[in-house]
Amino acid sequence: MDPLSTALKVAASGLDAQSERLRVVSENMANAQSTGRVPGSDPYRRKTITFTAAVDHASGGAMVKVSNIGRDESAFPVDFDPGNEAANADGYVKMPNVNMLVEMADMREANRSYEADLQVVKQARNLISMTIDLLRSGS
Amino acid sequence: MQPVNLFNLAAQQARWLSVRQSVIAGNVANVNTPGYVARDVKPFEAVLDNRHVAMAATEPGHMQGNNPLVQDVSLREDNENPVVLPSGNTVSLQTELVKSADVQRQFNLNTAIVKAFHNMLAMATKE
Repeated sequence: MDPLSTALKVAASGLDAQSERLRVVSENMANAQSTGRVPGSDPYRRKTITFTAAVDHASGGAMVKVSNIGRDESAFPVDFDPGNEAANADGYVKMPNVNMLVEMADMREANRSYEADLQVVKQARNLISMTIDLLRSGS
Repeated sequence: MQPVNLFNLAAQQARWLSVRQSVIAGNVANVNTPGYVARDVKPFEAVLDNRHVAMAATEPGHMQGNNPLVQDVSLREDNENPVVLPSGNTVSLQTELVKSADVQRQFNLNTAIVKAFHNMLAMATKE
């Protein structure tokens, strides 16, 4: 397979993986305040995402794919809020274990990696058009 | 040097550059993969050294060296970047982008040379 189309394919796999990651981050951020329904129940549990390198056998390129979307098993912080429907007998509510700061940092990193992947796509496209331009010089 | 040889050489370098670009794409795609070790291709000089200018086979009994066109570009682990993240990942985004710009520049030069040479040939063959 032509190495330049391999480059495009590999960069596209990176774009895919990073957008999946952005999706998980936005799920976490959107549910940062989602408590349970019944008294004493567990709130939203933060999701994590991990990547793994996968060699594409047709081209030999080092693609990336999402290996696992897991759950963050850390403890839930508790808030005193007797009016909440998920409050237990003492008036404490379990809040989701989502740390906004961590999510923001994660989002920025995903963004940065996405941009780098886009840059690689641009470069590969440039190389391809340079090659095609060889045919145009004929006149 | 025969003109055909130059075209061959230029095609080899273009191929090497494309392979390098795809390896860079792999590194950038895996910038957040735990345990991923950055890779790079062997320098073009090494590819060239493997293949001396082949002698022409004018008799059926002549032995030929390895065919230049099936020469493979081999990969190596990139040890130039000493930064290893706690996850074991050794990709440095800025290094990869610099490398990619370098590929672009060399490819530009390569196609310009081919173009110039092609024009020279065209000039010589016209009338």
